[in-house]
Formats: sequence, C-alpha cells, structure tokens
Amino acid sequence: MQPLKLDEESSSIQHKPQNCAISSGDNSVWADVSPLLSAACTDLHEGELINGDNFNLFAAMSALEIMDPKMDSGMVSTFYSIDEAVENGFAPVPVSADSTVDVQSTIDIMDHLLVCEATWHMGHSLAQTVFSCIYVLRPEMTSSQALLHSYCRVIRATCRAVVSVVSDARTNEEEDLFTMTYGLPFNEDEDAKGLLLLNAVEETICRQLRACKATSSKKRLMEDLEPLQTNPQLEESFCKALLCRIRFRKHFLHALNCMRRPQGRGLELARKHIAYCISELDSVLESAEFLRSDVVENGNTEIEESTTASGRSPIGFDPTLNKRLSAPTPPRAIKLLSWKKAIDYYVKLLHNLDQICVFPLEPDLDAVLQFVIRFQKSRPDLVARAHLQLLLVQDGKLYGCDTFLTICARALALDVTKHHGLHNNEYILQLNQLMINLLKILCANTPWQRRKLGKILNDWSVFNVQMGISVAHMMQQDTSRTSKNGDKSLLILNHIYGWLEEQINWVALRFLMLGFDLDLYSLSEYCMVYWYMYIILWKLAEKARFRVLIIVNTEERKAKRNKEYSRDMVREDRISLWVLFLQCQTCLAQGLTVMIAALRNEGMCLKSEGPFNTENEKFVQHFELLQKASLPEYDAYESFSESTSHARLDYLPVYEYFHDAQKIAKDIKVGYANDPDKLAEVRGLEQVAERNIVAVNLFCQDRSLKVSFEFTHHPYFATAVVRRS
Amino acid sequence: MQREAPPLLHRLLKSQIQILYIARVRKLLFRQMLVGIKDGRFFLGNFHCLDKQGNIILQDTLEYRSIRRSSPSPTEQCYLGMILIPSSCMTSCHVDCSIEEQLSLI
Repeated sequence: MQPLKLDEESSSIQHKPQNCAISSGDNSVWADVSPLLSAACTDLHEGELINGDNFNLFAAMSALEIMDPKMDSGMVSTFYSIDEAVENGFAPVPVSADSTVDVQSTIDIMDHLLVCEATWHMGHSLAQTVFSCIYVLRPEMTSSQALLHSYCRVIRATCRAVVSVVSDARTNEEEDLFTMTYGLPFNEDEDAKGLLLLNAVEETICRQLRACKATSSKKRLMEDLEPLQTNPQLEESFCKALLCRIRFRKHFLHALNCMRRPQGRGLELARKHIAYCISELDSVLESAEFLRSDVVENGNTEIEESTTASGRSPIGFDPTLNKRLSAPTPPRAIKLLSWKKAIDYYVKLLHNLDQICVFPLEPDLDAVLQFVIRFQKSRPDLVARAHLQLLLVQDGKLYGCDTFLTICARALALDVTKHHGLHNNEYILQLNQLMINLLKILCANTPWQRRKLGKILNDWSVFNVQMGISVAHMMQQDTSRTSKNGDKSLLILNHIYGWLEEQINWVALRFLMLGFDLDLYSLSEYCMVYWYMYIILWKLAEKARFRVLIIVNTEERKAKRNKEYSRDMVREDRISLWVLFLQCQTCLAQGLTVMIAALRNEGMCLKSEGPFNTENEKFVQHFELLQKASLPEYDAYESFSESTSHARLDYLPVYEYFHDAQKIAKDIKVGYANDPDKLAEVRGLEQVAERNIVAVNLFCQDRSLKVSFEFTHHPYFATAVVRRS
Repeated sequence: MQREAPPLLHRLLKSQIQILYIARVRKLLFRQMLVGIKDGRFFLGNFHCLDKQGNIILQDTLEYRSIRRSSPSPTEQCYLGMILIPSSCMTSCHVDCSIEEQLSLI
C-alpha cells in the first residue's frame, strides 16, 4: 500500500470489487478502504497495531499466512483445478499418439503408481500419493483405454481394501494420514469391475505374446491380433513387461481379499496369490533392463532414485492438485520412494503376509503370543500388522471362533464347555476385553506397543485384585456346595485368577524387553534394568511352573476318571520347556545384574547417577508404571540397592548364575529342535552365558581392563566385551 | 498574504488527523472485509488486526477462488479460519457497509 499525502481523500467508494461476484449484505455495499488503511498505516508507530480487545498475539501466531507455500493450500501452483489440468492436456488420453511411446508411458504410470502406493503405506496421505495421478482421480477419462482404465480401477479397489483393513484394525492412529480419504472418490461398484476388465486385458496381451513367439506359419493365423506398438522387435519385451505388472496387481488384490475372509478361511488361497505376487515382482525387476535401454543415462544416481523402471518421469501426476483437500494447511512436501525401494517394500510386505498365512491358527494362547512376538521381530509395516490383528481378534473371539474364556481355560487344561453361565460372568467379560486389548496392542508398532503395555499393566493389576477379592469371598461362601452339584465354575474362576498373575508378569517382561528394541536404556542403567528383568522373570517362571502343576494334576485326575482319556503331553511338554526357557533367562538376568553391579562398584563401569538425576530418580522414571501395578509389591528401589551395593567380582555366585544359564540352555536345545527360531534364540542365550563367564574371569585377573556391552548374540541380554586400556 | 500555521499548531493538527485515521480504521474492526490478492483469490473475513506494514489479519475467513485461469469461471469457496494477508500481495481491500455509513468513510 502506498502512503497517502494528508490533503488527499482518505477513502473512495465502489459498489463492488472488480471481477468479483461476492455480494455484500442486504442494503450494503463494498466500500474501498485501501486509502484509509494506507493513511492509518503511515500514522501508526513501529510495533503498534490496530486491533480489538479480544486480540491475542499468541492466537494470532497460528494464523495461516497467505502466499506462504507451507501454509497456503489454495496457492495456485501449476493449474487452478484438475479440470483445468485435463483441459490443458496434462493427462492425455491416449497417453501418446505414438503407440510405442504410449506403451512405454503406460508402463511408467504403472511403476509410478506402485511407488505412490508404497509411499502411502509408509504413512503419507492418499491425496499426495496414489491420487496425485489424474488417471486414478478421473478413471472415466480412460474408459477408451482398456489397459490404463482397468489398471487404475484395480488400484483404487486395492486402496479401498487396504483402507478398510487398517480402519477396522484401528491401528491408524499411529499414522494419522493413512486412512484419510479426503473425500476422494472410491466407487466400490465401478472399481470392482476393474478386475474383470484387467483379466480381459491380460488375456489379450497373452495372446499377443504368444503371437510374438509363434513361428511365421502360425503368425499368419494370428494376423488379426493388433500389436501393442509398432516395433515388432520390441513387442515381446513390452508384452512381458506389461503382463508381470498386471498380474502382480491382480494377485495382490486377490491376496488382500482372501486374507479378509473370516476365521482365516482364505489364508491358504492367499498364500498362493502371494507366491504369484513375489514371482511377478521378480519379472518386474527383470524388465527394468529392457525398459531403460533407450534412455540416456545421466548418472547412476538418477536411475537409482527414479520412480519408474525406465528412469523417465511419468505423465499425469501432480501432487499439488489435491493440496486443498487437506485444507486449511497444505500437507508437507513428501519424498516418494524410489522404484527399487518400492519393490523392496512390497517384497517385505508379501513375506510378512505370507508369515501370517502360514500360522496354523492354534487355539492356544501361548502359541499365539509366541507367534506375535516372532512376527514382530521382522518389524512388519502397518498393512501387515493390521491384517494380523484382524485375523487374531474377530467378533470378540480368537480367530472369530473361540472365546477368550475357552482359550484361557485351555491354557490351564480346563474344560468350560459345560459352564455356559461363566461366559457371562462379569470378570470373564472383563478378562475377555483385557485379552482383546492385549492382542491388539501386541500387533502395534514397537514404540506404541511399549507405551500401551505400560499403561495396561495397571488395568490388569487392578482387575487381578478385584477378581481375587471376589473369588475369595465366593469360595468362602460356597465351600459346602461345590462338590455336591458338580459345578466347577468357581474352581475355574479360581484357577483363572491364579493364571492372571502369570499374564501380568508376561506383559511386564515384554514392556522391559521392548526398551532394548527402542534403545531406551543407557549403559549406566543396565544394572537396574537387568535387576527388574530378573525379578519379573523369576515371578513369571514361578507362575508358569505352578500352571504346569495344575495342568498335570488336572490331567492325571481326568485320566483316572476315564481310562480312555489321552493326556495332551505335547502341551505339558511345551509349557515345561517354556518354564526352563524362562529359568535360563532368569539366571542370565541375575548374572548380568551382579556382574554389572560389581563392575560399577569397582569403578570399571559407569554409575547410574548422573549430574541431573539421582539413581533413584532414574529408577522411578523407567519403572514407575511397573511399580504402580505393584510389580513387585515391595519397595523395588530399596531392594535393588541392597542387592547390588555390595556386589564384587570375586563373589562366587556370579559364576554360578552364568553356568546355570549355560546348563539349562544346553538341556532345552533338544526340546526346540523342531523350532529353528527358538533354537537360534536358545543358542544365543548359551553364547551370552559363555562369553560373560570368560569376561568375568578376565576382570578378576586384571581390573584395568575396559569393558563395553554388545548385543551380538541376543537382542536383550548383553555380552561383556573386554579390551585392554 | 496567507500566514502559515505555526509549527506547533501544524503538529497539533497533524496529530489530530492521524488520530482520526486510526480511529476510523478502529471502527472497521470486526466488520466484514473483502481482500483481493495478486493471484486472483478473494478472502472474506472479519477484520481483526492491522499493523504498520499494512498486513491484515482476518478471522473466520472464507477463500474464494476460480477453478479456471480464464474468466469468467465458476468459483469455489473454502473456510480457512484466521489468516494473515501480507500487504505485498494485496490488490484490493473493501469493507461491507451501509450506504449511509460509506459517507463517514469519506
């Protein structure tokens, strides 16, 4: 605004701003106040504002700044709208009048869409990725181009399927942009037809491929087939490049649809589709060499970072066209994955989905928990984890089949089929909900999982106390009647109450171990972490051992009553092996606690106390949630201090703990011979014990050695590494 | 021969006129203001704040934009809330007022 001189008019009147169809109110006009504002600006002092009484500078800081690209989603970049982009030939149909270029460009579009889809899966918005393609936004434009049209329809159907899975699993709060569709078009009926169309297109291209490979005599018979493009030398390669992409797209949608079938009924078929997908992705990768053969390379980096196999930029994509959908503020600019990385992402996703399909769906809680833990080791992404969660928890039951009462009772070798009333017991209903929440949490990503596990510890603990009081009260009142009418409901409730503590400690152990995955513990805190792990492991092993005794007792009584009854020895052996596994870990945790405490006390290792926090404060920061859940019930820090303050390297039990761990590990390796993952873990524990024994020997001989800790043999149990100073 | 007003009086008159401009702009606060910017968009909101540089803050703002570069073309609108319009991109600034009121703006 230009400042006006004092003798000029300070305002002028116009009825309406030029070129503007925005009407003023009734009986009012638009008055031009630019000169008045200019004059007022000239007269204001520096820093002075004209504002009302309700003006708040802090609130004003959140105002969107117009014409700032990071804040102004309505800023015009290339086109005012999608319609304008289309009218200006931004997304031509056909893509090119030259059929060879048309096929090449269509393949580029397919590759770029694959990249966009993978980038969306990694946590970005649909609007900036898949729907940055005008051909996907307006599929009706391509209805004359069967290949592009059907491909775009199937992409939309696939996106819809994935949004549905992630929304139902409700894991999307961790990646907020994922399921937001911003009002983008998802036409279920039309998109569903896409698969049929794509099948027809595939058939046509297959015939064309056969025609390419046919001898000249047979070719005369197939002359009525229209080639994809004009260069006969390239026809076969183009056909193969298209076919593998079409087939991947088709089989991927089929795999997702099969995995959504209730109670895991579609898993076997899903596996077949997944295998096809992996095979077709190999072909897609192989096609890259042909596709970039005529592209002049401007350096390896450009090809590596390219979003298409050919290295060319695709036609018809503009992520800024949809930025108003995320108004009021535009989304941050995102970097798409490269084509190679997108393929790698899909290979990993497919392997993770395959892992889920292979799960035997045992109605055994221990097996389920172990499977989920093992599945999470490969750090699966959101889509795979959502599928797992929906498989495990359906209609409030495990796999949609068994209630969690049945599952919990089975873990204790109890039969609840005759106790229908128990299913509506208020504690069983609460337990059901706790189990559902636990399984959902275990399917989340690591940071979120740990945070939620810490929070539910208190819920479990409170529930445990309430149930304990109620069951004790009921048992006091009911002792005379139980054996008369054969109603074992109270007995079952009592056993479940006892089993609860084992579950609480299992959750606590998982919480502690995830801290290592997330690098939450510094070296100076290992002592207190291992001490806590030792306490929890010891309790967990004790409860698990108690459960084995209950099972053995129950099974023996059943066998006595019914001579034809066959005991489930597999379950007994599995839980017994699990108890030994826990004992091995307990010994290791104990050994590490004492070893690190001794190193600390003898000045060879960092102390827990730092310049900002005392050791007690750090202890509370790490374990506050466990202490709130009364794990353990006594003063944990006091106990920790007492048990570690006098540790010395010469203290003999240090050697015993590691030796005990080593011995148990050797014994249980036989039991896990058919489980390669578990066997590898046990070997890892054995090596941790062996290395630490050696390290302790060296420390005792030479106190000047430098010590560090590494997790080379096991992700949660450290191995001491010794170096000369 | 006309005598010039003495400097003190001149300064007094000037400061009174200054107060007048600022006061008149203050009266426009909370009124519907329509601001046009260089790329053809219009913003309709309640006038909330003005600074010395001429930057304007509007509240409860609606953005009006054409969906085509060429005119005439249909417009679409979008709610933005509180916005800051830098003076450098402003092309017009109008306030909604009655026909009687507009006289007071002269």
